[in-house]
Amino acid sequence: MKMESKKSETPTRGKLTKHDVGMLGIRSIFNQSAMNYERMQADGWTLAMIPSLKKIYKDDKEGLANAMKSNLQFINTNNYAAPLLMGLEASLEENGEKRSTIDGLRIALFGPLAGIGDAITWFTILPIVAGITASFAKQGSVLGPLIFFLVYVAMFFARIPIARLGYTTGTKAISKIRENSAIVSHAASVLGCTVIGGLIATYVQITVKTKIPVTAGHTISIQTQFFDRIFPNILPLGYTFLLYWLLKKKNVSPVMLILVTFILAIALSWLGVL
Amino acid sequence: MQVTLMQGLLIGLFAIISGIDFWWEGFYIFRPMIVCTITGLILGNLTLGIVAAGLTELAFAGLTPVGGTQPPNPIMAGIMTVVLAYTTGKSPATAIGLALPFSILMQYIILFYYSAFSVLTKKLDTYAEKGETKRFTNLALLPTWIVGLTYGIIAFLCVYGAQGPMKSLVNAMPVWLSHGFEIAGSILPAVGFGLLLKSMLKARYVPYLLIGFTAACFIKFGNLMPVAIIGVALALIEYNRSKKDAENDKKLKTAMENSNGGDDEDGI
Repeated sequence: MKMESKKSETPTRGKLTKHDVGMLGIRSIFNQSAMNYERMQADGWTLAMIPSLKKIYKDDKEGLANAMKSNLQFINTNNYAAPLLMGLEASLEENGEKRSTIDGLRIALFGPLAGIGDAITWFTILPIVAGITASFAKQGSVLGPLIFFLVYVAMFFARIPIARLGYTTGTKAISKIRENSAIVSHAASVLGCTVIGGLIATYVQITVKTKIPVTAGHTISIQTQFFDRIFPNILPLGYTFLLYWLLKKKNVSPVMLILVTFILAIALSWLGVL
Repeated sequence: MQVTLMQGLLIGLFAIISGIDFWWEGFYIFRPMIVCTITGLILGNLTLGIVAAGLTELAFAGLTPVGGTQPPNPIMAGIMTVVLAYTTGKSPATAIGLALPFSILMQYIILFYYSAFSVLTKKLDTYAEKGETKRFTNLALLPTWIVGLTYGIIAFLCVYGAQGPMKSLVNAMPVWLSHGFEIAGSILPAVGFGLLLKSMLKARYVPYLLIGFTAACFIKFGNLMPVAIIGVALALIEYNRSKKDAENDKKLKTAMENSNGGDDEDGI
């Protein structure tokens, strides 16, 4: 109750500079520093917010304590979406919005932002970057790891403009995010699925060695004279779809599928099929 | 080939750095692309490291920590793939399979930590209530240091301690078995792609998957860039169309509301 009475007097709040918000973006790297099952990223999230909160609340020790405590609620979002949400929250704290408004918005937004962030970073950027750099690396070219590294260093520093975006758009961002997140996720999924199709054709390799004797001295290779004539890479596509089906519809765990793949490969190697 | 004590320690040190990077998801040096390359560099065989990097990165393409889940560990997979290929002389494709148990071991250690670190939340709550930012900071960073140290110890033990037994084990393997591991290594990316599809693929995205697949089958080019460009083009088409649809929907809705307002007297 004490905090309620304090709120009505609302001591003047400090203002963050452009540099402060940029640093908030950098500090968003702490988001997972204390990851745990009870409230996922909440502890790290609060850790990232501390300097901004301190500057906003200045001498108001109670306000700072309240803000820290409220930030310690369950949150689990994408790590590149986190700075956006942190910037947004910082602007709300600065404007002296009600505690319940700030917390409500954070809780309402972290889920949708996680969806769009994962669609872009894990399901689109990573497969593309991995697919392209791996083709260099497989030939032993140092360009592979080098390009990979540079892309992700750039991604790290993108946290700065992302935090600033969240801060400057403030509450305006909310309707924008709500409106566009479905469309952007959709476009990212289109790109991601196209690339994954390409990755399946390029990097999953299954070649059947078995040859069927037709007449004496004449054999038919199952791979080159049967599968390859239907469609190249049809086995990798088929096997990937089988795994997809097992993961999605049968809820088989990935580790199980990895083990099964190994057992199958070893058995078929022993039989001389693969 | 033998891993020297110095090399073992250096790999342990690198495991600490990349382990913290994975915990934070900071610079992505925890991905096999970088882990394998650096391990190869430490062992004095950079080319081996880079070739293994390409293979292992793809095998782990879909094994991502999305939504707080833990995949088989990419760092231990990367380190052990290169170390096993280096010490046993097997191809990196075979070594990926042999490295897998180490990767799963680390996965379960991290899962244990996710549960264990819940005990800190009470104490952090108290610090927050008192606004003690310094103490809060130190305690909130503690899990990071614990995780990093664990990576260093596990990596060193696996690399340096286990190399003897691993080597004799691998040398005792018959040809069909090591060939089986090699085949498994080249099929393994399918699991990752299956996982990616599990989170992404809906019926309406199947056409794009097929376009990408067919394009990659018939465009003979050193890397996937052409397929990526086709993907970008398709994504732009879809983006523009969805945007237009959304605008039209909005217009339609306002128009309906307006007309509804007029017809109100007729009732529903």
